[in-house]
Amino acid sequence: MMKYRRSRPVISSLLSAVALLSYVTVTAASGETSPGAAAPKARHENTNVILISLQCLRADHLGAYGYKRNTSANIDRLAGKSVLFENAISQANLTPIAQMSVLTSQYPRVNGMVSFEVTRDMVTARTLPEILKYYGYTTAATVSSPEFFMRFDTAGGELINPGDVFSRSFDYFGRTARGPEGTSLRVAPVDAFNWLKNNSDKKFFLWIGSGLLHMPYSATVPPPYKTMYDPPGYTPFWKKLPQLQGINDDAPSYDIFSRVYRNEFYRDFKPVYHLTEEDINYVTGRYDAGVYYTDQFIGDLMKLLDSLKLTEKTLIVLQSMHGDDLGENGLYFHYDVTDPVVKNALLLRFPDAEFGGKRIREQVQGLDVMPTILGYLEIPAPHDAQGANILPLIKGEKGATGSSEVFIDRLPWWEYTLSRWYLEMQSANGKEFSPAETKELLQYQKTLKESFTQLGYPPGDIAVRTLEWKLILRKNRELLEKLSWWGFITGKRQHHEDVELFDLKNDPMEKINVAGKHPETVSRLKKTLLQWDASVDSKKVKYAPAEKRMIIPYP
Amino acid sequence: MKTRSFITMMVCLALSLAIAGVSYGAEKKKPTAELSLKYKDYNLVFVSFDALQAAHVSSLGYPKKVTPTIDEMAKNGFNFTNNISVASWTVPASMSWFTGVYPSEHKLTNKFAVFNPPNNKLSNLKELSPNLVTIAEVLKNSGYATGGFTGNAGVSGGFGYGQGFDQYFFDKGKFGSMGVSIPKALDWLKANKDKKFFMFLHGYDMHGQNVPAEGFDYRFVEKGYDKKFTGSAQEQEALREEGLEKGSVTLRDEDVKFWRAIYDEKIQRTDAKFKEFLAELQKLGLMDKTIFVLTSDHGTEFYEHKRFDHGFSLYDELIHVPLIIKLPKQKSGKVIKDQITSLDIMPTILDLLDVKMPEKAKTQLRGTSLVPSFKGKAVAKEVYSETDYRQYTYKRSIITKEGWKLIYTLENKSRELYNLKNDPKELKNLVEQEPKIAYELEQKLFAQFKSIGNDLNAKQWIPGLNPVYDSQAKGAQKK
Repeated sequence: MMKYRRSRPVISSLLSAVALLSYVTVTAASGETSPGAAAPKARHENTNVILISLQCLRADHLGAYGYKRNTSANIDRLAGKSVLFENAISQANLTPIAQMSVLTSQYPRVNGMVSFEVTRDMVTARTLPEILKYYGYTTAATVSSPEFFMRFDTAGGELINPGDVFSRSFDYFGRTARGPEGTSLRVAPVDAFNWLKNNSDKKFFLWIGSGLLHMPYSATVPPPYKTMYDPPGYTPFWKKLPQLQGINDDAPSYDIFSRVYRNEFYRDFKPVYHLTEEDINYVTGRYDAGVYYTDQFIGDLMKLLDSLKLTEKTLIVLQSMHGDDLGENGLYFHYDVTDPVVKNALLLRFPDAEFGGKRIREQVQGLDVMPTILGYLEIPAPHDAQGANILPLIKGEKGATGSSEVFIDRLPWWEYTLSRWYLEMQSANGKEFSPAETKELLQYQKTLKESFTQLGYPPGDIAVRTLEWKLILRKNRELLEKLSWWGFITGKRQHHEDVELFDLKNDPMEKINVAGKHPETVSRLKKTLLQWDASVDSKKVKYAPAEKRMIIPYP
Repeated sequence: MKTRSFITMMVCLALSLAIAGVSYGAEKKKPTAELSLKYKDYNLVFVSFDALQAAHVSSLGYPKKVTPTIDEMAKNGFNFTNNISVASWTVPASMSWFTGVYPSEHKLTNKFAVFNPPNNKLSNLKELSPNLVTIAEVLKNSGYATGGFTGNAGVSGGFGYGQGFDQYFFDKGKFGSMGVSIPKALDWLKANKDKKFFMFLHGYDMHGQNVPAEGFDYRFVEKGYDKKFTGSAQEQEALREEGLEKGSVTLRDEDVKFWRAIYDEKIQRTDAKFKEFLAELQKLGLMDKTIFVLTSDHGTEFYEHKRFDHGFSLYDELIHVPLIIKLPKQKSGKVIKDQITSLDIMPTILDLLDVKMPEKAKTQLRGTSLVPSFKGKAVAKEVYSETDYRQYTYKRSIITKEGWKLIYTLENKSRELYNLKNDPKELKNLVEQEPKIAYELEQKLFAQFKSIGNDLNAKQWIPGLNPVYDSQAKGAQKK
């Protein structure tokens, strides 16, 4: 019995060899390939791609990643038909920086996307849509993250759009339809639905970018979802503070949380309120309401794909661009390279749902998304891609280990972004700062401007992450301590350690720096991190035109 | 004329019948003309006609009869009509014959390995690539007498070209002609004719920096040319440098015709010298014991792409060169149209002479023997070329078997895509029309160089600042 069974593959391979031979003979005799006997189509000839990129989505707030609240029934269902990555790390903590690394498979300092103010001609690296267009794809984006549109003109005090870096190679690049709050920003990008209905007959790449989860949390989420997780009878703490007359909004906003340091709310450089557990629950609830509402959007999208009969011919990639701190370290927003910020959700749903439900623990990174999509489509990855095709890892091939070390650039410093336009935009709104603060703020802005030239900020903070460890180096520690926003808002100069090492297994929220206890790990990781740092810097080296160049004389 | 082509046809027919016989595996009697494919202990003469563009060779289709001696060998030998040089100028291209590897591997990509005046360092094979074995070394170790007789300059002994040669002639400071190297070669032959020998014969007679010792007679120049140019080396040099400086030169049609006529005269004169050389070999009774390999290191450009001279680009006028292999007593030839590369020459020679690479260099060679093509086996392949010309530009190219060609300029990432079948002159850049082909060829090109240990993304390609040794850039920055 056993013997008989074993011989079957031999017979079938013999049969196919004969078939192949006769095929070759026929085509050789006729001198050309007959259309009926054509080779199997490459996947890029008939596979669509949808890349769903969710800003500020924390993987650990999804059911599929073990979250206790039922926030994500639809994403969980999708995850059941997808490969799920438990350790997908982004290259940076800020949206356009991290996402350009996904679209180019290059580190930020290599692709040139190093701040919010770069222009289109400064980022010339090939993008995923550009390559897909070579292969006949119609490319479209419906995006609700203002980071992909917004620039702030410091002179005019206006939001402007000087030629978006991200819209290159998209046949259609649109903001989404206005949401219930009347804005098209930070809403569910439902315009994707219209685009899909009108283009379902095309071979397409659709990028759906959602900024809905970004602070202010759930601002654009309609009732009843908005308040679904609010603690009963809760009033936001900022509405109770006598110092804050101007802020009536319920939504946890950056205006509020940029004043919260180690869960103390600061006003006039003093802690005036300590956040309670209930406050934190409220913030988290509003964040989770956004997750729930986003999940409804994903559910609608999946239903639509089913009804358009697209599911079985579409590769779906769902990723978070980066996460958010929700007070675990006393910080909110995505100021630093903490794990809640850089550890992302990543799902790959193949058209035939192959490997559905598989979970992969090995580390992968934002850089890997493009080579993997191209690899699946049987398109060669660009030679300057710095990520890897992780299909071998998915298939469990020998030697496929993922990226045991992932490098993260905290780029640019948030303080640099403040110096260029953010504070001016906030000042233009004119309500957040007290008179005492405003006075200091002018000096702070001046110091920031003096410390940074246009696009010439000093090297930022860099990190390397393994499954066990994260090591962070502050290359310009003293400058950071001098300029730190937290230093400004608390009125106390900040202190950073030279080296931070976190034991991710025992301390996943990175509360205790254990660099002193593990000198060998520090020295090993520091070495690789600095090697990487030098290698990405060498790629951006530009020589001044005036510099002497020596062409070798003839002969 | 008619009779001759009839004979050729009959020979071709006979040959193809023979091939057909082989492929059917029948034990038919082989034609008496069947040649051996092993020439153990035979002599070999390797001739480089420096800067001979394929398009000016009559046996490759040039309408004027300027190469009768070369054509005769082509007719009786194997005439490879699509031989692509691995580089577009002498230094990198010639060393690739001698080592069988790409210029970026033997590292003689420029005259200087470090150019940081006054601290310059001349390129030298032994220093740059101490582990490479040269063809002369391999043959010498197999008992061959080895002699090189050259016009110096790009194949100067100073670069290490003499490695493995018993005698290597180069007249320092000169772009020497065969008028000088042939007598030296014959002297050496007379002393070594009873040994088995490997000879490298080279001259700059066709090159822009060489003019006939006896002057031009302007035999091909159209009457009435206003003599704006006279054909001197200085004029050629001025045009070359102007093209580099400004990106292009401006020439009238009549000037281009003039320069081509000058070139034809040089070619014809060289061909005649070569005929005399063969006559001497005949007198020495060596013809039946000697294999000839005739080729050129690169072509040259006559304003096809608005420049002059060679080295800067990788267009076909620069890298498409003749290759003729004539076996002893071979009377009937064969035209082999398969695209091949100059890297195939060293493995072919070793195969013919039945000499193996030494154990330590077993994996050195990048090309493959062309000998199977003598019996009709397909040898066509994708070919790659490169130039880092004077650190002025850094270019790489790929040509597919189907005739797609991509030239990639590393310093500015610009790409040129040509369909050589429809556009042999490479005038219509199809990068925009055929983005997929351009993209895939670019990936292949980069993958190829990465596979030989030269990741093109590993460094910045900055004109004037991209040395073989890393120290040069640092030195340059200090200044």
